[in-house]
Amino acid sequence: MWSDLQPFFVLGIALGGVFAMSGVGLVVLYRTTGVLNLAYGGVGAMGALISWTMIDKGISGWIAYPGCILFCALVSLVYGTLFAPLISGRDSLTKTTATLGMLVIAIGLMQMIWGRNAHSITLPTSYWNYQIGEVRISWTQILGVVFPILITYGTVVFLKKSKVGTAMRSIANDREITAMLGVPVRRIESIAWVVSGVLCGIAALLLANLVSLDIVGLSFLVVPSLAAALIGQLNKIWVTLAAGFFIGILQSSFNTWPSVADYRGLTPFVLAIGALLVFGAGKNMVART
Amino acid sequence: MGSKGGALATFMQTVSPKRLIVLVCLALFVLFVIPSQLGTRWMIIMTAVVIYSIVMLGLGLLIGRAGLVSICQFVLFAIGAWVALRINYLIQLPLPLNLLIAGIVTAIIGVLVGLPALRLSGLYLALVTLMAAGGGTLVLTRILFPNGGGGWTGQSIKGGVSSLLPRPMFALSDVAYYRYCVVIAMIMFLLATWQVRGRAGRAWAAIRQSEVTALAAGVNITFYKLWAFAIASFCAGIGGGLLAASRGGVSINQFPVQGSVQMLAVVLMGGVFNVWGAMVAAIFFKLVPELLLQWGLSTEWGTILFGVGLMQVLLTAPGGISDQLPKDLKKLWGLLLAVTIRRSKKTETPW
Repeated sequence: MWSDLQPFFVLGIALGGVFAMSGVGLVVLYRTTGVLNLAYGGVGAMGALISWTMIDKGISGWIAYPGCILFCALVSLVYGTLFAPLISGRDSLTKTTATLGMLVIAIGLMQMIWGRNAHSITLPTSYWNYQIGEVRISWTQILGVVFPILITYGTVVFLKKSKVGTAMRSIANDREITAMLGVPVRRIESIAWVVSGVLCGIAALLLANLVSLDIVGLSFLVVPSLAAALIGQLNKIWVTLAAGFFIGILQSSFNTWPSVADYRGLTPFVLAIGALLVFGAGKNMVART
Repeated sequence: MGSKGGALATFMQTVSPKRLIVLVCLALFVLFVIPSQLGTRWMIIMTAVVIYSIVMLGLGLLIGRAGLVSICQFVLFAIGAWVALRINYLIQLPLPLNLLIAGIVTAIIGVLVGLPALRLSGLYLALVTLMAAGGGTLVLTRILFPNGGGGWTGQSIKGGVSSLLPRPMFALSDVAYYRYCVVIAMIMFLLATWQVRGRAGRAWAAIRQSEVTALAAGVNITFYKLWAFAIASFCAGIGGGLLAASRGGVSINQFPVQGSVQMLAVVLMGGVFNVWGAMVAAIFFKLVPELLLQWGLSTEWGTILFGVGLMQVLLTAPGGISDQLPKDLKKLWGLLLAVTIRRSKKTETPW
């Protein structure tokens, strides 16, 4: 039983790490700006496709992969500084629905430029493998586990100890009072957008390597990440991390049961709905308006 | 607050004779003039526009009247088609009866999806419906549409990729079926208008304004929220059944996962505060991609337009095109009149 489960467990934990890292990015952005960025995966997919195109044209991966991260950070910054402030006074639903507009634009652009076929990216770290028991583990999978833990620890320390982090927590508490105290709210929100964009780029590259570079698949990476963020009640970063790993392992483990393997993709949807029903009734979920 | 007959009488009283004449002329134009001018390909596209307008009518009602944002209307539309086909392969019923059953079953499923609305609102309800849309699309991609096979899915490899519902004898041709769909759409639009102008509409307005106040005024919030979901899903079910009987039938390719978000975008663009917005939305959704193809452009420009339009609507025109356009035209008319009057005053020679 365990020998059948092993390869899926390893893949699942790496996937879960990516979901967790994206979930942390969503939470930090939501807490600072009140926006649940549903275009997260779409922007990441576009960045990954740009990297794929650069490598296809013969450009070195050392330029192409940071290019993806830079692109995602830039798009997030542009949206966060040009469009988001125009609706910053509106409710969370309106602000989140606007990101759906960005998602639709991203999907349209990607399908127009790259078509609907799946592509593939192989990070250099995927060529470095280790055999542990019956399972072959690549450095990409190890990165998928270690990176999110480091990112989460770094995020928690950053939010607690740094000036910008403290400002972000203050904005999350009350935006207007924070602005009255002289904190440059728009600049802090822009930083949150950039950080979210960077995490989005890294997650997209890892996921494109672990699964496939598929436009719709990557665009809807936001679903398991959102599920992780919702289980963490859009507030608890360590819980979001754990939830991300849990979702990845659970989803991947269903591969060992043929009767449900075809429906394993439902896992994040079901868990997200469950989290919303349990935590979203006004009392437990941290609401930003 | 009055019997059914009282509500119907109130509804008839609110339609002015001028408006009635305009509506009748529009109906005659849609039923007779349009088919006489268009070829087969455009008739099929116009039929799709009419069908989608029914689906978007339901979503517009849910968002604009009840204030409940749902992102799973597209999947409910697919479910309506699935139910209609499954019923047809089990027992061959006349199409109107098939549509009614599909509408009712889809309404029941829509109410189940809407149950979280009793505890959630705003963003979290929208997220629940988004998850339901994604999950529903995934399930449909696995089970596909019934095509005459056995089992509960009614799927068979021999049955072909697309599934078709048989049309009534008097609506076999494309033009006849188009007129059939237009008549159904008219009934659905009348039903929606009746609801909006009746007790349900007043209850939804009160709930949208303030649930606490509505509760204090004695409005049954639970019932009317679920009723809104039921009406919206009923529209989706009827639309799904009609789509299954349209040329080419239905296949899973017509329901991409991003369709749910695109449908929300066009409905908001079209306008959710009046029923005409649904027609504008359907024209955007079905006609714009065809026009782009006709002009040799990629249909993805339409997708990009929907995304830009959604962001613009949220920013500057929450009422959508159907709300904004008459106001803009009125402003333009006022401006033209002012300019004309100023010019005529200048040219008047003082004797």
